[in-house]
Amino acid sequence: MRRYLRFRTLGLFCAAAFMITPTQAQEELRVGVIGNLSGVFASSGTTMVNGVRMAVDEAGGKAGNLPIRLFAVDDEGNPELAVTRLKAMDTRDKVDVIVGPVSGNIGMAAVDWAKESGVPVVVAYSAPEDITMRKAVKNVVRAGWSGAQPMFAFGEYVAKKGWKRIVMVGQDYVFPYNQIGGFLKTFCRNGGEEVIKVWHPLNTTDFSSILAVLPQADAIMYNGAGGDAVAFYKQLEEFGLRKTKPLLGGSNFFAVGSLPAMGKGTVGGLSALQYSDSLDTPQFKKFRDAYVKKYNEPPMATAEHGYVAMNMVINAVQTVGGKDRAKLIEQLRKTNMPDAPRGPVRLDDYGNPIQNIYINEVREVGGKLLNVAIAKIENVSQFGPYDAKTYLADPPDSRDFPPGKCSDPYYKKK
Amino acid sequence: MKGQSIALLALGAGLVVFPFVASDYLMVLALRVLMYSLIVLSFSLLVSQLGLVSLLQTTFAGLGGYAVAILAVLYGWSLPATLFASVGLVLATALLFGLVSLRASGIGFMMLSIALGQMVWALSFQWIDLTKGMDGITGVAAPIVAGLELGDSRQMYLVAGTIVVAAFAASHVLVSSHFGLLLRGIQDNEPRMRALAHPVLRARLVLFLIASLFAGIGGILLTWETRVITPVSLDLSRAVWVLTAAVVGGTGSLLGVPLGVILMVTLEAVLSQYTDRHLMIFGAVLVFSILLLPNGIAAFAADLWARRHGPTRATVAQK
Repeated sequence: MRRYLRFRTLGLFCAAAFMITPTQAQEELRVGVIGNLSGVFASSGTTMVNGVRMAVDEAGGKAGNLPIRLFAVDDEGNPELAVTRLKAMDTRDKVDVIVGPVSGNIGMAAVDWAKESGVPVVVAYSAPEDITMRKAVKNVVRAGWSGAQPMFAFGEYVAKKGWKRIVMVGQDYVFPYNQIGGFLKTFCRNGGEEVIKVWHPLNTTDFSSILAVLPQADAIMYNGAGGDAVAFYKQLEEFGLRKTKPLLGGSNFFAVGSLPAMGKGTVGGLSALQYSDSLDTPQFKKFRDAYVKKYNEPPMATAEHGYVAMNMVINAVQTVGGKDRAKLIEQLRKTNMPDAPRGPVRLDDYGNPIQNIYINEVREVGGKLLNVAIAKIENVSQFGPYDAKTYLADPPDSRDFPPGKCSDPYYKKK
Repeated sequence: MKGQSIALLALGAGLVVFPFVASDYLMVLALRVLMYSLIVLSFSLLVSQLGLVSLLQTTFAGLGGYAVAILAVLYGWSLPATLFASVGLVLATALLFGLVSLRASGIGFMMLSIALGQMVWALSFQWIDLTKGMDGITGVAAPIVAGLELGDSRQMYLVAGTIVVAAFAASHVLVSSHFGLLLRGIQDNEPRMRALAHPVLRARLVLFLIASLFAGIGGILLTWETRVITPVSLDLSRAVWVLTAAVVGGTGSLLGVPLGVILMVTLEAVLSQYTDRHLMIFGAVLVFSILLLPNGIAAFAADLWARRHGPTRATVAQK
């Protein structure tokens, strides 16, 4: 009897194992969406998912004649867990395509997974340049940007403004290196003289030792985001340095989410991104109004990027007339979207968008602090003013590369 | 006793049969269970044998992971050299940290373990030339070991499963040996063991090294499985995850380790599928399980067993 019971238990386990295995997939487009949906950076992931859902709803829940089914999972900001969840979406949910993620380190982890699994991935906001450069794989394309991309436009803009010496305080890790790297490469070739780089470790709360000895310069730039950025800004005000010099930011410094915490003193702050909270085009207004109606808040950049990424998928499926993987990847790489809310988006040979970059100024609009576009630079690629070969011949951006002094022989070369 | 042997045999048979019947998805979860079992075993051994709550065990796992990633990806070392150096680094660090911290016990030891762990964590995102900072090291290829491709989930299962079974068998032998007796003697009455001229610090250090070795191997396997290592792996939250798994499973017996890990991994996977509020539900489940099963699932199961079949050795040993 006891033995029988044991066999029964074993049988039950096996049965359970089979039951969890999904039944044969129906004809539908299964889309896995991955982003940070919990913790401190939850808003970036949830707004991206909002954008994805809005794109699906606008398409009537269908791509071509395939009904769309979304599987949204949380990466919890943990790359190791994210890879496990990606594997789960592949093996359990049998997804046809992945949209996401948002965070940089998770995007990098996702590329390795994509290379092995072959599942098409449309990276939404994650910005390490190697995703579409040194690690580029066929089945990964990007709806967003590389860290240096908006800064190419910004460097030229700032140099031409006549601000020749910039003191930059930045978070000491790869993304800010990439941002100031792009900035320097155009700044120095358009009349800039020097960017003095001051790096601080992540999660710094006290900047007084840095601010007390801040070198003289024409403008101050903070190259970072999140809690550090808010703390830096607050202390900049306390030291009485906010009004004395123009304030520039890395692309995420004046994020709409941080602006209320930073306060109205930010008005006039400048930064650059392929997105703006306020654009004067019918496509943008249509998107913004629909988003506000649906979610009752203005769309952040991440929301628009989720929306564009999902639309890239829908368009590709429509054109291909099905979800055949090889054809879908082929079509995704040919993406050309003239009517995206942010402006025209088309992919380069490496799968990264060539798009408008906006110089944004913080302004108060209807009682809200927003990044309003004051200048537009068209057709900026991830390689900036260079072709891919020239750009990739340089070492990757780091703490000290490219050099901060524009008199450096490096800038004489090209 | 006979019942226990049969149960063990059934468990062994289950482990062997599993990769043949499980779906690809269950294999993903199973690998996670195997690898975290090593790390939780490492934690659980220190709690059960020495009464030491060490939040350093994920740090050793992370060190192992970082070492294989850095040596293989950035320096292109061969597999044997990488493995040898990685395990060596874990053991050397464990020796150093052990010498620093093992003179303390209780809260003091726990605080030291947190402090040392935080130091390594800070290093992992500030020593950018070596660790690539927040982005971590990606593109760690799963190697081929003895003709087995670890990139394939079923072949990885064979390797990881063998290691896990060996680690548990070794732990069982260790716990039931004279050395195990000495350890529990130290836990119960350290001054007396000292007075009896037992090498207290050395005994603690030996167990600490063994436990750290298990964690290090778990971390190496996990890095091969996910192809990535970042500072998040060294975050205090991972240590708390391991602590929770150990407590929920029960530190009274070795069986509690896999039970706790299976519960945690399953909850994580199932809840995250249905709701964004999974972390809250997760917390609630854990609170209730700790309130209702204070000695963990393993002790609860042993109690049930004892009620039906008479006491087992494990339950007797606990009392």
